[in-house]
Amino acid sequence: MSEVLNPFGSEIFGIWNWLDAIIRVVIMVTVMTVVVMYLIYGERKIVARFQQRLGPTRTGPAGLLQSFADALKLVGKEDLRPKRADRWVFEFAPFATFVPVFITLSILPFAQDWGVRNLPLGLFFMISALGLEIVGVMMAGLGSGNKFALLGAVRAAAQMISYEIPLVLSLLAVVMIAGTLDLNQMALQQDRYPYVILQPLAFLIFFTAMLSELHRAPFDIPVAESEIVGGYFVEYSGIRWSMFMLSEYAAMWGFSIFGAVVFLGGWQFPMGEDWGWGWQLALTMGKSLAFIFVMLWVRATVPRLRIDQLMSFCWKVLLPMSLVQILANGFILVYGGPYWLLTLTSSLGAAVLVAIIMRQAFRRSSTKTLVGAYRTQLQVPAP
Amino acid sequence: MNSLDVVGPQLAVLIAAGIIVVIDAVVPHQRRLIPYVALAGLAASALWTVSWVSRGYEDDIFGGTLALDEYAAFFYFLFAGITATIVLASIDWVEREGRRQGEYYVLVLTACSGLMFLAAARDLITIFLALELSSIPQYILAGWGKDEKSSEAGLKYLLLGAIASSLLLYGMALLYGLTGTTLLTEIGSEVAANGADNRSLLIVATTLLIAGFGFKMAIVPFQMWVPDVYQGAPTPVTAFLSVGSKAAAFAVVTRIFFEALSPEFLSNDWSMVFAVIAAVSMIIGNIMAIVQTDIKRMLGYSSIAQAGNILVGLAAVSAGGGDAFKLGGSGVLFFLAAYAFTNLGAFVAIIAISQQINSDRIKDYAGMWKRSPFLAVMLAFCLVSLTGIPPTAGFWAKIFIFNAAIRADLAWLVIIGVANSAVSAFYYLSVVKQMFLGEPAEDAARVSTSPSIALAVGAASIGVLVFFVIPMPLLSAAESAIQGLVPLT
Amino acid sequence: MALEGFGPAFAFWLLSAITLISAGGVMMARNLLHAVLFLIVTFIGVAGFFILLSAEFIAMAQVVIYVGAVAVLILFAILLTPRSARDNSETVWGAPAALLSIALAAVLIFVIHDTAWSETNSFQAPSVEDLGRALLSTWVLPFQLASVLLTAALIGAIMLVRSPEEEAEDALS
Repeated sequence: MSEVLNPFGSEIFGIWNWLDAIIRVVIMVTVMTVVVMYLIYGERKIVARFQQRLGPTRTGPAGLLQSFADALKLVGKEDLRPKRADRWVFEFAPFATFVPVFITLSILPFAQDWGVRNLPLGLFFMISALGLEIVGVMMAGLGSGNKFALLGAVRAAAQMISYEIPLVLSLLAVVMIAGTLDLNQMALQQDRYPYVILQPLAFLIFFTAMLSELHRAPFDIPVAESEIVGGYFVEYSGIRWSMFMLSEYAAMWGFSIFGAVVFLGGWQFPMGEDWGWGWQLALTMGKSLAFIFVMLWVRATVPRLRIDQLMSFCWKVLLPMSLVQILANGFILVYGGPYWLLTLTSSLGAAVLVAIIMRQAFRRSSTKTLVGAYRTQLQVPAP
Repeated sequence: MNSLDVVGPQLAVLIAAGIIVVIDAVVPHQRRLIPYVALAGLAASALWTVSWVSRGYEDDIFGGTLALDEYAAFFYFLFAGITATIVLASIDWVEREGRRQGEYYVLVLTACSGLMFLAAARDLITIFLALELSSIPQYILAGWGKDEKSSEAGLKYLLLGAIASSLLLYGMALLYGLTGTTLLTEIGSEVAANGADNRSLLIVATTLLIAGFGFKMAIVPFQMWVPDVYQGAPTPVTAFLSVGSKAAAFAVVTRIFFEALSPEFLSNDWSMVFAVIAAVSMIIGNIMAIVQTDIKRMLGYSSIAQAGNILVGLAAVSAGGGDAFKLGGSGVLFFLAAYAFTNLGAFVAIIAISQQINSDRIKDYAGMWKRSPFLAVMLAFCLVSLTGIPPTAGFWAKIFIFNAAIRADLAWLVIIGVANSAVSAFYYLSVVKQMFLGEPAEDAARVSTSPSIALAVGAASIGVLVFFVIPMPLLSAAESAIQGLVPLT
Repeated sequence: MALEGFGPAFAFWLLSAITLISAGGVMMARNLLHAVLFLIVTFIGVAGFFILLSAEFIAMAQVVIYVGAVAVLILFAILLTPRSARDNSETVWGAPAALLSIALAAVLIFVIHDTAWSETNSFQAPSVEDLGRALLSTWVLPFQLASVLLTAALIGAIMLVRSPEEEAEDALS
């Protein structure tokens, strides 16, 4: 029995292994669907609270069944395909978006050695699965035969490629300290303090880049309803649309758990190993929900960025800062400096990052410095 | 630190490139300093190489991936000289172009460091990366001009270059699969031990290697890109392509085939291949050159023919064995050096002329003798050297190569080569005739020469003359360089 | 893990079929978008082979680099191309190309059969740590060369795509 429950390190090609994998995946799918439904409900409730509204109240007690009702409605809706759409690309796009997200969920440790599978290269696997997600988004945008969808896909691709770099680099900064890519190991090492204490700058960069990868506000220009009517999945309806929704919220949840494992100690901190799996599961869920709450908080507070601001923030602020973080880590680790030095340098970096953001936010706007998309012939003389 | 010392010559060039980037970004009004920084970097690189020559060499560095032997040092000097000439010749052109000045030199220097690594690399992975390091800046430089022709040249060069790289990689992968190593010397001993049983694979791998490098050498089945790229690319870049990347390709081919693929059962195969390619390259290059009206296109075809000449030396290397090995190898190196000087001189003169008359057509060169005696004489001298007529270094170059071929019983190839020299005399000398006997157009102004161009073209021409009068130092340098390689047989 | 038994063999043939069919799709697809999507499947199939050979790191690197970066860049290029220029045109070279590739395949298959490949019986899959150590000791030179190469390519690419307006702005400053 214990072998079935603990397949870590067992043979890949065996009936029992496959059976075990299938059971775990089915459980994962069910849990994920329920979680996503309540994430949507939670988002509506919390954002409503920020905006001094009530949110859903009618369906079930306090609107708890609202998402179920929505899901039923969506499944029942007609699955439309525009005439101009590229048939196969259009129909496969939701799957191409959803599968990578689900793959990332299958390697996350929810408690000690609890998960679908644990990979020695888990973190790297997560990164590579992330890269796949862009393909689905671009398929949707290109296959729809719709200009708004195309624009959304262009925005999404540009943004996701760009923010992937600081995201990966900030994770690398942590990997340098942990010395492993195994997510379970990584959580295990954070029994005394989580890595966010050592690497606050990396955490800030990770969180920012994560918002962007998930198309959450203030980086939600690929799906900006007021600008491009919803972005790359504007032409979808019914079940396919709901798959986009599902993958979006599942990615949000997956990322939150991932961030919790890497930066906040996952199932381990505090007392995870001592108090058993129930506490571990509670820790993971609690931390990921905290992540999600902050995301919603940001969404309700910060206005949407313009594309040139978004790009220059990534390339000119986040990328150099993450490189500096890696460089500092390298020096400290190679020359055997104490860990508090990591905290010190990284905190300084985090302070600088916050200062830069604040300066940008409270700066008086001046049209002279507009670059990129907003440059016109009037401002720059023709050559 | 020792290993940094070993790559010092390349490092000096790359540091100069880095300084240029900083100057360009931080103090843009000091931009006119940039070419001199580049020249200083190249001089430092040459000096560093000199220090290695006096200190003795280092054979086995970075786990055997790089070798600083006489052979590498020979090419370090050659590439530093070539790049310095290119930089001198580019100053006017880049300034006139008026944009992206820093980056131009950065890319030229990076390409130069790639060429240097290529000459010293002793491992397939390093060779491939060095090849790309020299190629990618050249792709970009070929598309540097503002006109459509230049973009076409860049794109064509990039696409065909990518195909050539993939063929090369496939060949390397096959070699690795057979021998289980990427180090040339180890491949050599593996091939000597097990190669005879696996000839079919070695033939395929060798063919793919020749195809990949043949693109860079611009030899016949892989010469399609040459005329268009040579014509479309900015002239200084064309000069760089025709001399630098060709010399580097020959350098690396010679090293691979000497160090890794030299067992006799194999070398007989590839010497025959080289001989046939050499003959075809000479014939096609020369015949196509005759009908050209654009001087850059003409020199492009002529460079194909010259590559054929150099291949004669490579073919001689293995066909003879023993003595021919030395003769052929040193002949190749001597030819490469002489060709570098000659072709650079010709191209720099063309750069100077075309900048002022805004044309590359041969008939616009009519009466150049009256418009600019200096440039006309220099160009004529270099064209004579390309033909292989005394008093020029090109004469000795052809003598050495053909001598090696005769020793190696390749008389038929020598006959083809000599006949082709006669053909090439026709089109080279017709340009000379145009310049000296033709009448300039009515409104033709004088063509002036800037100091940097005069220096570049003068230095190249003096080199051509000096190596005619006293070829021995260069020849003995080439001989000791080729003996620096360690052939197995 | 040795490549023996039903599982690995089945996986090998399945991956081969996927990779080859999608590679064929890349060539045959007239719609450039479809060709790129097939290319992505091919890349993933190749990553599968790497996993089968116990080279997990390379497999994931393959997905990150080829699917996440290269293919997405190609998709991006397609996005920015006018629809009319987006399709592969018919060429008369189809038959000669097929002939050539069949000939090439025949040669390669013959060679692969004819050759006594160097085999090793004691294979230990290298860990990521081993890879890192190798990259920074024996292979440090190629590693650094690659970084110089990327820098040069970056500078060059930026220069090639700069618009005239930006250059005018440079000239002003």
